[in-house]
Amino acid sequence: MKKNWKHKAYAIASALTVGAMMMGGVGQAFAKTNVVKHSVKHASGPVVHLQETGSTLLWPLFQLWVPVYKHVNSKVDLTTAGTGSGVGISQASDGTVQIGASDAYMSNRLLSQHPGMLNIPMAISAQQIMYNIPGVKKGVHLHLTGNVIAQIYLGKIRYWNAPQIQSLNKGVKLPHWMIVPIHRTDGSGDTFLFTQFMTDTNAAWSNSVQYGTSVSWPAIKGALGANGNNGVVALASKTPGSIAYVGISWLNNGLSEGLGEAALQNRAGRYLLPNPGTIAAAANMMIGKTPADERTSLIYAPGANSYPIINYEYAIINEKQANPATATAVKNLLLWAISPQGGNKAVFMDKVHFLPLPASIAPLSRKQIAKIHG
Amino acid sequence: MKRERFLSLIFRVTTGVMASSPFLILLFILIVLVRDAIPAIRYQGSSFFTGVTWNMGNMYANNPIVHNGVQAAPGASFGILPFIMGTLGSSLIALLIGVPFALMTAFALVYKVPKPIQRVLSPMVELLAGIPSVVYGLWGVESLSPFIEFKLGPLLTRLGHAVPFLAGPVGTGFGLLTSGLVLAVMIIPIITATTRDLLMQVPTLSLEGAHALGLTSFESVRFVAYPWVKRGIFGAIVLGLGRALGETMAVLMVSGDAANYLPYNLYSPISTMASTIAALLDSALTDFTGMSVHALAFIALTLLVITVITNLIARLLVSMGRQNVHVEM
Repeated sequence: MKKNWKHKAYAIASALTVGAMMMGGVGQAFAKTNVVKHSVKHASGPVVHLQETGSTLLWPLFQLWVPVYKHVNSKVDLTTAGTGSGVGISQASDGTVQIGASDAYMSNRLLSQHPGMLNIPMAISAQQIMYNIPGVKKGVHLHLTGNVIAQIYLGKIRYWNAPQIQSLNKGVKLPHWMIVPIHRTDGSGDTFLFTQFMTDTNAAWSNSVQYGTSVSWPAIKGALGANGNNGVVALASKTPGSIAYVGISWLNNGLSEGLGEAALQNRAGRYLLPNPGTIAAAANMMIGKTPADERTSLIYAPGANSYPIINYEYAIINEKQANPATATAVKNLLLWAISPQGGNKAVFMDKVHFLPLPASIAPLSRKQIAKIHG
Repeated sequence: MKRERFLSLIFRVTTGVMASSPFLILLFILIVLVRDAIPAIRYQGSSFFTGVTWNMGNMYANNPIVHNGVQAAPGASFGILPFIMGTLGSSLIALLIGVPFALMTAFALVYKVPKPIQRVLSPMVELLAGIPSVVYGLWGVESLSPFIEFKLGPLLTRLGHAVPFLAGPVGTGFGLLTSGLVLAVMIIPIITATTRDLLMQVPTLSLEGAHALGLTSFESVRFVAYPWVKRGIFGAIVLGLGRALGETMAVLMVSGDAANYLPYNLYSPISTMASTIAALLDSALTDFTGMSVHALAFIALTLLVITVITNLIARLLVSMGRQNVHVEM
């Protein structure tokens, strides 16, 4: 398979010039992008095939992009697959696919094993804590801190009316009901974010469980695991007493299933819900802390209005592509994807509850994209 | 003449290769798994089978740890006893519930049900065997788990003072009992179909003899039909067991995922070997030492060995059961 693809790619390379890759020439509203501005219209030339695999959280966004991008650049044939972030990173590193999608950035060691790999943020996502507590009215947002949630998942707090929780929620009558902590069974970017939040807010957690896309959960009798965000929402909604971490794309789904949404304490001590305002505030606070390679945690950002669990959604790309034509195709696709007039448009972002890349971060991503070559 | 000899040689070689392909494929898989598992065997040793803690380690650490000459992420520890217990426990429940059900169904289909109805029902058994496991999983989540949480579980806990394993808490309906019941439903068609085919081979003459002697239909099944197919039925059961041991998706959906503890009662969440491999491979791929993938390969190897052994036993017993029939005819 891989060999075939390479042969094909070489054939394409010999037949193409860089300019031929730029535009398909179908005049669409979406075509008004940065790409278009720099491009030379060229209708002829063979099609470049790009493959994307990885994060199931990013997959719906790619699915929205594919039909639109066909009109932006008819010379690129993009196929997508939701395989999980780990597979995305691994296949992009091996060169099996051109674009890996991941909710978690690559570790230092993994990067030193695959030195040419770029971690390019394309959008911003967030995560909320949801619960199912009998007797707590709908619309009441429990106040929770990372420290208290960590103690729940460590098995130190076992009942909803524990003093640690009750003292944060003076006005709410909490029941003496056993807490059922729910985690993701499968490896997941959501687990990565959640355990980073725990690591940042609880010393015992940072010394024992730590963080990753899959961790060794403390043994708590009755604690449950579920497969995928959909599995978590389904399990939490039918399990009284449960608490769970859920990706922001599944917020509406969780709320309509009757789950409560917690207001989380941020670093400044305020209790906030995730919304475009609080997510953007947190992102803006972390811009200065984002290094040139953009691999960084955005968790627990400072600032009065910053929601504590947000992250970059990454495209994992090998800076050395098989040939110049493929490199150009990947570059143009990514430039379009992060452009506010292209893939970062509200019509796409709103549907998956992502936030566009902040204007001050986009140049960093563009700088990384410029490194891609054939 | 020469040409014919040449053709016959080709025929012999090709058929020889084709005939041995199942064996070669199995051998190939086994070699790959063993090769992949070796680092994990060196790292964890026999505590792989006795350990309770599964931890792939801190994959974001800057330096690996080295143990017995192999690298792993700091904190890595691979104990699969909870997965083994979960796999064997849920399969055992599946057999305890599924086998009587399947045998009764097979006996009824062959001896009790009128021929026209049998012709309709018989293919349905095979149809049930062909339903994708994710469908059974969904049924387990939507229907079975609430039933166990609110109806069956509370009922069974009343026997708790006699049998401690049945005592509560019932929990959420995700766990050992639900997994076992889902698996039972999945293996019933397999055991039923195989047993039915075996019963069809019982000579009519013997059964007519039994009737002539005035045996009731239960007695003729018990003393004539059953002895004919005894070994074969055992083989059919082991075939069902093989399916239960290896089932991934349906169990992943209803097991509740017991992290780092052994099942403590009949309703306890569990993890199985197959579902663990499916759930954790994605994260394991980002382990910079590669050890997590080796550990998953080790689980796969363990599961393969168990499954191959049960299947071999099943084949052997089914073929012995058939011979039995022929010899005494």
